[in-house]
Amino acid sequence: MRSSIQKPLKAKKTRFFRKEAHSLFYASVFKDETKLDINYTPAKLHHRYSQLELLKQYFRHTIERPGRMTQRVIVTGQVGTGKTVLAQHFGRSVLQEAQNRNINLHYIHINCRQNKGSFFLVLQQIVERFHPTFPKRGYSAEELLQILMQILDNENIYLITTLDELESLIQVEGSEPLYKLSRIEETRDKTSRRLSLICILRDQSWLDKLDASTRSTLQSNIINLGPYTKEQLSDVLNDRVVLAFKQGAVSSETITLAAELGGEEGGNARYAIELLWRAGKYADTEKVPEVSPEHIRKAVGSVYAVVRRDEVAALDFHKKLFLLGIARHFQQNRDIHLPMGEAEEAYSIICEEFSEKPRGHTQIWKYVQELASLGVIKAELSASGQRGKTTLIGLPRVSAAELEKELSRALDNAGRGSNYDD
Amino acid sequence: MPDGAAIMMIEEVFSSRGRVRILRILTEIVELNISEIARRAGLNYATTNQHLQILEKAGVIKHKSFGRIRIYRFNEDNIKAKIIKKLMEVWEQENKNVSQTVREV
Repeated sequence: MRSSIQKPLKAKKTRFFRKEAHSLFYASVFKDETKLDINYTPAKLHHRYSQLELLKQYFRHTIERPGRMTQRVIVTGQVGTGKTVLAQHFGRSVLQEAQNRNINLHYIHINCRQNKGSFFLVLQQIVERFHPTFPKRGYSAEELLQILMQILDNENIYLITTLDELESLIQVEGSEPLYKLSRIEETRDKTSRRLSLICILRDQSWLDKLDASTRSTLQSNIINLGPYTKEQLSDVLNDRVVLAFKQGAVSSETITLAAELGGEEGGNARYAIELLWRAGKYADTEKVPEVSPEHIRKAVGSVYAVVRRDEVAALDFHKKLFLLGIARHFQQNRDIHLPMGEAEEAYSIICEEFSEKPRGHTQIWKYVQELASLGVIKAELSASGQRGKTTLIGLPRVSAAELEKELSRALDNAGRGSNYDD
Repeated sequence: MPDGAAIMMIEEVFSSRGRVRILRILTEIVELNISEIARRAGLNYATTNQHLQILEKAGVIKHKSFGRIRIYRFNEDNIKAKIIKKLMEVWEQENKNVSQTVREV
């Protein structure tokens, strides 16, 4: 009798564990999320071909006549404009070319910030690529530079080294490291010139902090990377989505929204890629098989808290209703833009719910302008080519669900309250 | 003696526990400076230096100088060095195999 009671209990327990195990291994939207990692270098370089070609041209002599000439090139551009990826692609292609020509050329990419802006640590990183167990103490940066040159001479190596985030090195050590690196070849009586440099900087004005002679040796070759456009970002993101996400897990609307936001952040591809990754994480948390624009909005909200609770509470009553209409629309629909007419319609429905008479078109248009200037919504004119012109409303930076929750809470607490306008 | 190694009896090279330990370390780590060899071998600097000079005289190891720093490694051009290195590798691997078997039992 007793055992007959226990048996179903056991079965129930097993079922419970099966369910747990199932939820632990829930199918993710990601195929390989490492492809969205900041350190990942994609195989394909988008929209930086001309700069890559220019870089190759600058280093042509280094490859064609090794030892005769070294080169110094500066690459500038804001965050996420592809400086690092450009240098790394160049590194790959130059290594391939050197291999074909049987030249012992090495490419080393060093991040100065990760090395605390220390010249000594930067040089140590380079030396350790050739001698991994090289002692870490017992010499100065100057000695280490001499040691590096000796290694290059002894082992007949030609080296192109990229100093990424050079600001950090300039900030900590001033002109000295760059002066020494750029002039080291001149002080050697060896015939072979071996050390070439690529310096990556966000802002060219950092070079003003260098002394005149260092600046003059560095400033001749500068490649400036402008921000990616929205369309270019879409290409970059499409590429990553194929690599990182399962097929069909990310819709084109989602990619467009991430590209739009990256475009607004100064054409920042890194930011747009991070948004995709975060959005993917939100989709996984909700256990849904697709990353939607709403997940991107949530991701933006998690990076920067865009809408503050007190800001929402301080909005006029009808502004709250209008915003609630927009929030509900974006929660229920996958599109990323809402034409003004449809926004008014959504607002009318909300007014009905609250037994309010909707405000007129001109008043609503004012709401749109004010909410846009607060940064809660985005308002832009529809592109030419469409029939007629309308204002398109977007909610790019705020999760629609979060906003609806906030608005509902504010409306519950205050009702029409003291914020009742006009 | 193509590589300038001196005549040295095998027992002279292997008669010291310290020297054998140094050879084992260089087999594992490939190349190291004196201080680090001394630290890993648990010997003092002077003793390590002496052992290294004996091994270098025998042609088994060689060094490169970078300023004040000397980096030692096996002399791959020397047949004795190659065989000793192989012996060390095989010995270590066999020890690992035995301890694995013991653990499984």
